[in-house]
Amino acid sequence: MKKFFILISLIGLISPISFAKELQGTITLSGAWAIYPTAVAWAEAFKKLNPKVQIDISAGGAGKGAADAIAGLVDIGMVSRDPDPAEIKKGISPVYILHDAVYPVISDKNPALPDLLKKGINKKTWFDIYISGIITKWDDIIGRKIGKSVHVYTRSDACGAASSWAAYIDKKQEDLKGVGIYGDPGLLEAARRDPIGIGYSNFSYVFTREGKVVKGAKLVPVDSNENGIADADEIYNDRESAVKAIRAGRYPATRKNYFFTKGKPKGLVKEFISFALSDEGTKIVDEVGTSLSISKADRGKVLKGLE
Amino acid sequence: MTIRKFKDLLAKKIMGLLAGLALSLVFLIILGLFSRSKSILAVNSLKDLLFSTSWHPTQGKFGLLNFILGTVWVTTIAVIISVPLSILTGIYLAEYAPRRVREFIKPLIDLLAGISPVIYGVWGGVVIVPLVRDYLMPFLSGKLRFFPFISDNYTGYSALAGGIVLAVMVFPIIISIIDEIIKTVPLEMREASLSLGATKWETVKYVVLKRVRPGIIAAIILGLSRAVGETIAVLMVAGCSLQEFPKSIFDTAYPLPAFIANTYGEMMSIPLYDSAVLLAAFILLLMTILFNMLGWGILLRVKE
Repeated sequence: MKKFFILISLIGLISPISFAKELQGTITLSGAWAIYPTAVAWAEAFKKLNPKVQIDISAGGAGKGAADAIAGLVDIGMVSRDPDPAEIKKGISPVYILHDAVYPVISDKNPALPDLLKKGINKKTWFDIYISGIITKWDDIIGRKIGKSVHVYTRSDACGAASSWAAYIDKKQEDLKGVGIYGDPGLLEAARRDPIGIGYSNFSYVFTREGKVVKGAKLVPVDSNENGIADADEIYNDRESAVKAIRAGRYPATRKNYFFTKGKPKGLVKEFISFALSDEGTKIVDEVGTSLSISKADRGKVLKGLE
Repeated sequence: MTIRKFKDLLAKKIMGLLAGLALSLVFLIILGLFSRSKSILAVNSLKDLLFSTSWHPTQGKFGLLNFILGTVWVTTIAVIISVPLSILTGIYLAEYAPRRVREFIKPLIDLLAGISPVIYGVWGGVVIVPLVRDYLMPFLSGKLRFFPFISDNYTGYSALAGGIVLAVMVFPIIISIIDEIIKTVPLEMREASLSLGATKWETVKYVVLKRVRPGIIAAIILGLSRAVGETIAVLMVAGCSLQEFPKSIFDTAYPLPAFIANTYGEMMSIPLYDSAVLLAAFILLLMTILFNMLGWGILLRVKE
C-alpha cells in the first residue's frame, strides 16, 4: 500500500499537467521573421504537452503581425519592434517576449575593414551615412584616403530590423537613405557581396547555426561609448560575444520583441505565453539560437503583468 | 412553354448572370479602392499627392510622385529594350522561320511567359544586377556624361536592372501578338508584291508591316500594361529607395506595385497611411485599365 502511494505521488510529480484540465483549441500567430523560428519551436513543444491544441504560425513581417492582431485575424501578432502609441490605442496589449539586435554588416573584402575594426563607427557618423547623407566616401568614415564611395543599402519592405536600426539613430524607417533591398536575406546578401557596401541585418541572420558570423560578412563595431576606439566588447566575431554584450547592456541597437494580443491575453493564449516565458520555454529559445531569451527578472515581471 | 424551352431559357439566364458577376468584379474593385482612398483625398489635395516626392507618413506627407516616376522610368526602359527585339523576332517567326524552327521556338517563348515572376527576380539579382554594376554602369556612365546616364548609384540595383528584367518578361506577350497579327495579312497581298519583283524583305517592310502597324502599337501597349503591374521581380532588382528621386537609368527606382507590396498592411496605426497606399493602388489600376482598353481597342480594329 505504501509503495502504491509512493508510486502515485511520483506520477503526480513527473506529470503535473496530466491531472490538470486538458487544454484544447487553436491558437493562430502571424508576424515577424525574427520571431518565427522560435515561435515554431515553442509551438512544437507546447503541442507535445497538450496534444489537443492546434497552433498555426505564419510569417510575413512585423507590420503584418501588428495589422493582423489589430484586425482580429490572429490571436497573437509577432512584432519585432516597440509598439506604436496608436497601436496601444487600438486595444493592443504588448507582451515582451524576446529580444535581439540589429547589426551593421560589411563585406570581408572591404578595404576599410582594418580601420573599422580599430575605430568602430559612432552614432553621429551612422546618422551622416543613413540620414543626412553627408558621408558618401569611406575616406570620410575612417579618415584615411582609399578613394571609394560608400554603397548604402537599406530595407525596402516595412520591417522591424529597419525600424530598430532607424530608432538607434533616433529616426524612422522612412528617413533611412540608401538602395532598398527586399527582405532580410536579400539585404545581408547585398552587403556581403559588395566590397564597398554597407547594410544591416538581424541577430537571427548574421550568425550561422554554429554561432559564427555568416561567411563573407563582417559586423561593423558600433562605437557606443564614443571613445573613438572599437573596444574588445564592441567587436563581435561570434554569437557568444554578441550575446554577452547585449546582456551587459553594451550594445545600443537592440530591440524588444513582442506578442501583440487584442486586449489582455486570456485562456489558451495566456497559457501559451506563460509556457513561452517559463524556464522550459527559455531553454527552447537558446536551443533555436535566433533570438535572445529575456532575463529571469523580466520574465517574472511580464508574467505578473498577465495576471 | 414546354419544359425544354423553359430549360433553355433558364440556362441562358443563369449563364448571363454569372458572366455579369464576373464583369461586375472589375467595377467592385474600382469602387472598393476608390471608397477606401477617399479619406486621404479629403485631407491632402490631389496635387500634393501626385506632384510631391515627399513620402513621410509619420509627418503626414504622402507624396506619390516618386513612385509614379519610378513606374515610368522602369516601364520606359523595358519598352525601349523589348520592342525592337520583339518586333524582329515576331517577323522572323511569322515570315522567315522554317516550320521546324518555329515549332521549336514558339513553346520556348510561351514558357518564358509562364515562368513565375519571383524566379525572374532572383535571376535579376544574381545576373542582371552584377552586370549593370560591373559593366554597363562604369562603361556607359563613364563615357556618356549627360542625361539620362549620369548617376552616383554604383550598386547595380537600378531602374535599368528593373527595366531589363521587365523587358524579358514582356517579350512573350509582344512576340505572340505580333506573330498572330502578321498571320492575318492575306497571302494574296504578299504574292502580288512578290510578283512585281519585290524581294522578301521589301514585301515584309512595305506590305506586311504597313498593314499591321496599328497591331504592333497595340502589342506594345499590352506589353506595357503587363510591365506596369509587375511587382515582385522589379521589387527585387530596382533598389527601391524612398529618398532618391530618379534622374537617371542608373538611379534606383521605386515603382507603384513594389511600393504597395512593401508598405500595405504596415503601420495601420498611422492615420491615412493605408488610405494613401490604396490611392496608389487605385492609380495603378486606372493605368492598367487604360492601357488594356487602348491595346484591345486597336487590336479589335486591326482584326476587322
